[in-house]
Amino acid sequence: MSPHVGGTRTLPGRSWGALVYLRTMLVFAAVWALVAQWTDNPILLPSPLTVLDAATDLARDLELFEQAGISLGRMVVSISIACLLAVPLGLAMGLSRRFDRIVDPTLEVLRPISGIAWIPLALFIFGIGNALPVFIMTYAAFFPILVGTVAAVRSVDRRLVDVARTMGIPQRTIVTRIVIPAALPSLLVALRLGVALSWTAVVAAELIGAPSGLGYAVEWYRELLATPQVMSFIAMIGVIGYLCDATVRWLNRRFTPWAQSPR
Amino acid sequence: MTTVLDARAERWWSTAGVGLLLPVALLIAWQALGASVGTPRTPLPVNIVKAAAVMIASGDLPAALLQSLGRVFGGFLLAAILAIPLGLLMGYSRAAERNLDPLVETFRPIAAIAILPLAILWLGTGTSAAVAIVAYAAFFPLIVNAVAGAKHVNPTLLRAAATMGLDRMTTIRTVVIPAALPSIGVGLRIAMGVGWTAIVAAELAVGAKAGGGGSGGIGQMMFVFYAYSIELNRIIVCMLAVGLVALLLDRLLRAMMKKLMPWAVQ
Repeated sequence: MSPHVGGTRTLPGRSWGALVYLRTMLVFAAVWALVAQWTDNPILLPSPLTVLDAATDLARDLELFEQAGISLGRMVVSISIACLLAVPLGLAMGLSRRFDRIVDPTLEVLRPISGIAWIPLALFIFGIGNALPVFIMTYAAFFPILVGTVAAVRSVDRRLVDVARTMGIPQRTIVTRIVIPAALPSLLVALRLGVALSWTAVVAAELIGAPSGLGYAVEWYRELLATPQVMSFIAMIGVIGYLCDATVRWLNRRFTPWAQSPR
Repeated sequence: MTTVLDARAERWWSTAGVGLLLPVALLIAWQALGASVGTPRTPLPVNIVKAAAVMIASGDLPAALLQSLGRVFGGFLLAAILAIPLGLLMGYSRAAERNLDPLVETFRPIAAIAILPLAILWLGTGTSAAVAIVAYAAFFPLIVNAVAGAKHVNPTLLRAAATMGLDRMTTIRTVVIPAALPSIGVGLRIAMGVGWTAIVAAELAVGAKAGGGGSGGIGQMMFVFYAYSIELNRIIVCMLAVGLVALLLDRLLRAMMKKLMPWAVQ
C-alpha cells in the first residue's frame, strides 16, 4: 500500500494541529472551572477535575468500558442486520425498475417515521432488554443504507454495464464484478450515515428501555444525582461515536482508495 | 425493438396502481391476520383509522403536534442564530476556524439525547429542556454546513472584492453569504429533520423518566398511550403523525428554498 493522497500532512503540521486542539480545550476547561467555582454546586455543575476523577474511577473498575462494550456490541449487531437487509434490497431496487415501483411506496411511507418514534410500540412488543435497542438501531440504520445503495447502483456508469453485456457476460458476474465495485464508495458513505444515526438512536433506546448500556448508565447516575459520573458517560458516548465514525472513514479509504478526493 | 406487447406491459408497470399493490395487500393481510389470531389489543388498520378520527376530532393530536412543533421551531431558531454566523466566521477566517473547530468536533459526536439528563438537571422537565435538546441537535448540521458554504466561495470573487477595496463586512455581506446560502439551506433542512427526531426522543424520555409529569407534546402523548392506557392503535396514529410532520417539514423547507434561492436547488 502506497500512502494515499488524502493524508499528505507533514508531521510538524499535525502536531501543530494537536497543540491548537489542546489549547482550545484548555481554554474551555478553564472557563468551565470558573463557572463551576461561581455556581458552587457540585450536583449542578461539578468542576472539570471532579469529572476527570469520576471518569478515572469508572475506568479503573471497568464500568465505563463494560457499558460502552454493551452499547457497541448492540450497534455492531444492528448495523450487520441492517446491511444484510438493506444492501440486497437496495441492489434489487436499483437494478430493476419494476421491483422498485412495487416496493418503493411502502418504504417511503415508513421512511419519515424516525426510529425513535418506534420506541413505545417496540417497548410493548419486545419489553425491556437487548431486543429493543437492537430493533431501534437496525431500523434507524436501515433507511440511509437502503437509500444510499439504490442511489449508488443507479449512478453506476451505464456504458460499463452495456459493454459487459455486449461481451456476453452473465448478469450475475455483471452485478458482482461491475455494479458492486462501482457502487461501493457511495455505499460506504451511506454506511457512515447509518452508523451515525443508529448511534444516536441507541442512546435514546437505552435511556428509555434497556437494563444496560451507556444510555442506561447516564440515566441511572442522573437519578442518583451523580453529575460527574453522568458527564463521564456522556463523554464516553461522544468518544465511541467519534471512533465509530473514524472506523467507517478508515474503511472508506482502505477499500475504495480510488474514490478519495485529494484534499 | 419494442413490440406492442412490451409497450403495453411497460405502460402497465408505470401506472401509479402498481405502487399501491403491495401496501394494499399488506394492509389486507394485517387486518385479516390480526382479526383472526390477534388478541383484542392487537392494532388493526381499521381500528387505527377509527382512533385517528377520534384523536383528530377531539383536538388532542393537533394540540400535541403543535406543542412539539413550537418547541422544535424555538430550538431551531436558537441554533440558527448561534450556528450560522459562527459557521460563516469560521469558514471565512482561518484563525477562527482553527481555534473553534476543536470545540465543534469534540461535541459533535455526542448524541443530543445524551445531553437530556443534564438538560433535565439544569432546566427541569418542561419546555426549556426540550428546546435545549433541539437546539443542541440542530446546531451541528447548521454550523458544519455554514462553514462548508463559506469556504467554497469562488476565490476569484473574493479577489475581485479585495481589488475593489471592499471592507471585510461588505465582503461577507455581498460575497460570502450569498455564495454560502445553498449550503446553509442544506444545513437548515438536515437540522429541521434532526430537530424533529430529537423532540420526539426528548419528550419520550421525559415522559418515561420524569414519572409522566405532564410536559405535553407528541412524544409524551405516545408514552402515555404505552405506559398508562396501553392503546397500541393510538401509538401507531402518533407514529404516522410523526412521519407525516417530518415529511411536511422537509417539503416546506425545500419549497421555501426553491422560492428564495432558485439557483441553489438542483
